[in-house]
Amino acid sequence: MSAMPGVVAVNTFREAVRDRVLYNLVFFGLLMMGAAILVGQVSIGINRLVIINLGLTAISVIGLVMAVFIGVGLIYKEMERRTLYSLLARPVRRWEFLAGKYAGLLLTLAVNTLFMTIGLAAALYYVGRPFVPADVTVLVAIYFILLELALVTAIALFFSCFSSPMLSALFTLAVYVTGVFAGDIRDFGALTKNPGVQVATRALYFLLPNFHNFNAIAAAGHGESVPVSLIWQNTLYAIVYACVVLTAASAVFARRNLK
Amino acid sequence: MNGKSSSRSFWKTLLAIPLLLAAAAFLQSRIDKATRSEASQKEELLVHSGTLLKKMSLGYDPLAADIYWTRVVQYYGARIGDREASFDLLAPLLNITTTLDPHLVVAYRFGAIFLSEPKPSGAGRTDLAVDLVKRGIASNPGDWHLYYDLGVLYYWRLKDYRQASAAFLAGSNAPKAPLILKLVAAGVAQQGGSFETSRMIFTELYRSTSDPKVQKMALEELQALKALEDEKHLDKIVEEYEKRFGRKPDSILDLVKTRLLPGLPLDPAGYPYMIGPDGKCQVGPKSPIGKPRR
Repeated sequence: MSAMPGVVAVNTFREAVRDRVLYNLVFFGLLMMGAAILVGQVSIGINRLVIINLGLTAISVIGLVMAVFIGVGLIYKEMERRTLYSLLARPVRRWEFLAGKYAGLLLTLAVNTLFMTIGLAAALYYVGRPFVPADVTVLVAIYFILLELALVTAIALFFSCFSSPMLSALFTLAVYVTGVFAGDIRDFGALTKNPGVQVATRALYFLLPNFHNFNAIAAAGHGESVPVSLIWQNTLYAIVYACVVLTAASAVFARRNLK
Repeated sequence: MNGKSSSRSFWKTLLAIPLLLAAAAFLQSRIDKATRSEASQKEELLVHSGTLLKKMSLGYDPLAADIYWTRVVQYYGARIGDREASFDLLAPLLNITTTLDPHLVVAYRFGAIFLSEPKPSGAGRTDLAVDLVKRGIASNPGDWHLYYDLGVLYYWRLKDYRQASAAFLAGSNAPKAPLILKLVAAGVAQQGGSFETSRMIFTELYRSTSDPKVQKMALEELQALKALEDEKHLDKIVEEYEKRFGRKPDSILDLVKTRLLPGLPLDPAGYPYMIGPDGKCQVGPKSPIGKPRR
């Protein structure tokens, strides 16, 4: 296999660092410090819980914002700057370029998440709580967030292959929100007595990316364990779904007239 | 534009920013004053449905629950001690909090206290507190603390000793439940509101919480129970005095002078007991100890 996707990925990561994307970590750090100091003053009995819930929510939201708003610009920026043309003039296939861009953004998100995880651990340590074996669930929740981000990035990249950044961001957010409500769409269909609607909503449920699968924030907050089977099933689901979206993206991008 | 005038306009701009910010802050304080009365009237819960909020939170419901719980604490804290205050939003806020996170045990436990405390310390709605804790048990059947809290509500507030005993007994079967719960259940079933049972319940309440407010409350109850026991004991000595001298003692000092008591008896807060106008012993007027709420 060609080393080209790796080269593109490393360059995408470098570009993100140059663009000061990781500055969001300062915001995350301040948020964690503020929460660690303030929560004990304004609430009762939830110091630890708030740090975990707020930390995981911030990791998820910041990651989502990055995945959507950087993901939708990955291809567009290269076309705007016309760097894409010189790149594709070399022996780089279009799908390799796409795969590299995807991997580069994932690497950026993973590094960002790693630093935020360290910040979360520091905040938990600050509120005077010793680490316990149940904290493994916090790491599982973070892993699930990364899987979610991998899917969102793939969707953002797909839309960016044929649409403007603004529209791509809107489409990606729409798919994300619909994916969060996938279960409700199926349940809504089940409430109706119409077999046609039931089949349609059930089909939609399986077609949409079910982002609710990746939510383990509540379990992490309460120290509940996550079954190992769910970890590998979610991993496979994210890989398979991301492959589907990236394949579609590469098909669209391959046929795109770049003139 | 030359460099000098450009530098001057930069410093002017830099000076203008804090001045304009100060002006904006001044205007905001005026607006706040003008709208304060309106704002206080408008305090209401825009969304009453926890289920709807759970959907709207897009999967971030655990954090939303924490925010609502903090709102409950602030809402309660702002009203405690105010005789005119209404606690109307307390129960809906607690319902939303526990719908957003059904495993937020702290919300059921403290929420029940906030709801059941008589006014002005709480909403005075033990019925709602019982409902809240029952919902907590349904969502967290393995947590003995909730059965214990339910038992305390029946025992302390409703004086329904049969239901209290049943709650303590159910809690004693939960994982990690302390053995004392079985004793408490038996004690409540046999003796109802006896001193010993009350002492066991409040001692366990003191031990099972890390919250200083609840610990203080439990300690006050334990002190009040001890004072009540002391008063009963002292009343017997007063009767003994009457038998010996044919009259009631004028003060507690008479009991000391006649050596019926070895020294001036002090209540758990360190204040001397006194003999009241009815001839019964009671805590002194300066003592912070109140009557136990048995």
